[in-house]
Amino acid sequence: MFPSKTQKPLVEVRGLSVDMPLAGGKDGLRIVDNIDFSIAVGERVALVGESGSGKSVTARAVMRLDPVARLSGKIDFEGRDLLTLSEKEMRHYRGSSIAMVFQDPMSFLDPLMTIGDQVAETLRIRGIGRVEARKRALSVLDELGVDRAAERLGSYPHEFSGGMRQRVVLAMALVGEPKLLIADEPTTALDVRVQDQVLDLLDDVSTRRGLAVLFITHDLGVVAGFAERVMVMYSGRIVEDGDVHAVFKDPKHPYTRGLIRAVPRIDQDLEELYAIPGAPPAPMARPAGCPFNPRCSDAFDRCRAELPAVLPVTGERVACHLHDRKGA
Amino acid sequence: MTTVSAMSGAPRRRRLALSPFDTAVIVLVCVLLLAAVFGPFFAPDSIYTSDIANSLMPPSAANWFGTDDQGRDVFWRLVAGARTTLLSSFLVVTLYSLIGVTIATVAAAGPRWLDEALMRLTDIGLALPSMIVALGFAAAMGPSLKSAIIAMAITGWPTTARLLRGIMRQTMESQFVAGAQVLGVSRWRLMTKHVLPNSLDVLIVKWAGDIGNTVLVLASLSFIGVGAQPPSPEWGATIAGARGYVSTAWWTVVMPGAAVAITSIAFGLLGDIIQVRRDPSLGGN
Repeated sequence: MFPSKTQKPLVEVRGLSVDMPLAGGKDGLRIVDNIDFSIAVGERVALVGESGSGKSVTARAVMRLDPVARLSGKIDFEGRDLLTLSEKEMRHYRGSSIAMVFQDPMSFLDPLMTIGDQVAETLRIRGIGRVEARKRALSVLDELGVDRAAERLGSYPHEFSGGMRQRVVLAMALVGEPKLLIADEPTTALDVRVQDQVLDLLDDVSTRRGLAVLFITHDLGVVAGFAERVMVMYSGRIVEDGDVHAVFKDPKHPYTRGLIRAVPRIDQDLEELYAIPGAPPAPMARPAGCPFNPRCSDAFDRCRAELPAVLPVTGERVACHLHDRKGA
Repeated sequence: MTTVSAMSGAPRRRRLALSPFDTAVIVLVCVLLLAAVFGPFFAPDSIYTSDIANSLMPPSAANWFGTDDQGRDVFWRLVAGARTTLLSSFLVVTLYSLIGVTIATVAAAGPRWLDEALMRLTDIGLALPSMIVALGFAAAMGPSLKSAIIAMAITGWPTTARLLRGIMRQTMESQFVAGAQVLGVSRWRLMTKHVLPNSLDVLIVKWAGDIGNTVLVLASLSFIGVGAQPPSPEWGATIAGARGYVSTAWWTVVMPGAAVAITSIAFGLLGDIIQVRRDPSLGGN
């Protein structure tokens, strides 16, 4: 729940900005702009936004995957600031404390390595013996419902179906017993039925292991079914952050409202699908004031002049002048 | 289609039937390999001694390809020479591939300046005509088969290094490499366990073609006199030894020449066949 009341959060991100250097060597491009968020132990958080809103970059920043990206701020993970670690120390965190799975289960797996070796690799590189690593790989594959896992340790990825492959990918991520799993659109490449299975599985695993999940997606249906909390990103900033039911029932930010309205509903006859007018601004051409103001039907003068701060609004956090006015 | 996606697609099945021509090429390559490995055991000892009374005999039932100026059977000398020629070529290709693979891996994995440095070195290697350089090296080390092999090994690697480094860079962009990195795999292990194995398949095609080419270059070096020396049955040396008889006893020159040509063409075609079969988008003809 928001923000974890009882215990210290697992991850606490403070003032995180990500700049990508430009070819000219001038100032970098600010892709993620000064965001704060935290994730509690075992919490399932969805990060949603359009393509280019900075959600994947945020996730990759937490893992420090882009060597060229300039990161500033703090990423506190169990009391240590990940941004101050050396690359070698960071490598130790990857896979064993924080794991990540990507969109496409087809290409996540090395086509020339057996499933058993791939799942065991995370353990092997940490000095765990072959036999023990295999045993633990097998038990994770079993846990994730890979049929006849023992016989299939020697199989290659192409011998598996898409859904099974996604299970193997999850097994690779989970075998190191991470506390946080970052899932970057893990279901987008799958058909709806398999998508559902994978979500159920994630749900199961996260409950059983007390695993926190940061789920990155643009599919609001998936968010509603899986996450406890949702963070909405727009143009490199978090514009709304709150309990998933509250946000869906009563979105506070006009952008969130637009997003939810844009999801077609089967129980309503529509002449035309709704779309938020305009397009998100490019990082080098953000408008003055609130980055959403040119597309916002509720924008007023202050929106065009002043960047709204992220402020608490009835148990949520919202960055919108509409609510600031009410609150003030 | 990129090599990587071709690899990660559906299981590769034997989809294309072999055409009669492909079959012929493969049979020819097998015959050449068998001759190289087992042939010398069946060759009569007389091919290493001279029998002047029987010299320069035209092809007949007893001597299929005739005899040379020393009265030695040309056919059996070719069979014996196949071992020298093919074995040396395999050795050369293996050696320079090892150099090429090492340089490519270091270049692809290393920092930008190292990559640049190694690739410029490769450019220099590519710019120099390898046959002339090999000739120089072999001559400097003293003409022998060993010098020719070493010279060719140290001049042959640039194409392999350049090609493989490009493919490895491409493979490094794959999701499974990013995936392994996300799980904490170190850069060196990433390169050797994931990137290299997934980049090598293109080289297999190149190897087949390279053997054919190496056979030709080795025979040329021996012909010029910096490679194998007479009385070695090596093909180039054989041609060099017999070139004085080309007008009186054509078989002494044409037969080993044909052996060089057929072998290098056969391995080149084998490379093409492998390439077509592993890349369905080329349509299989």
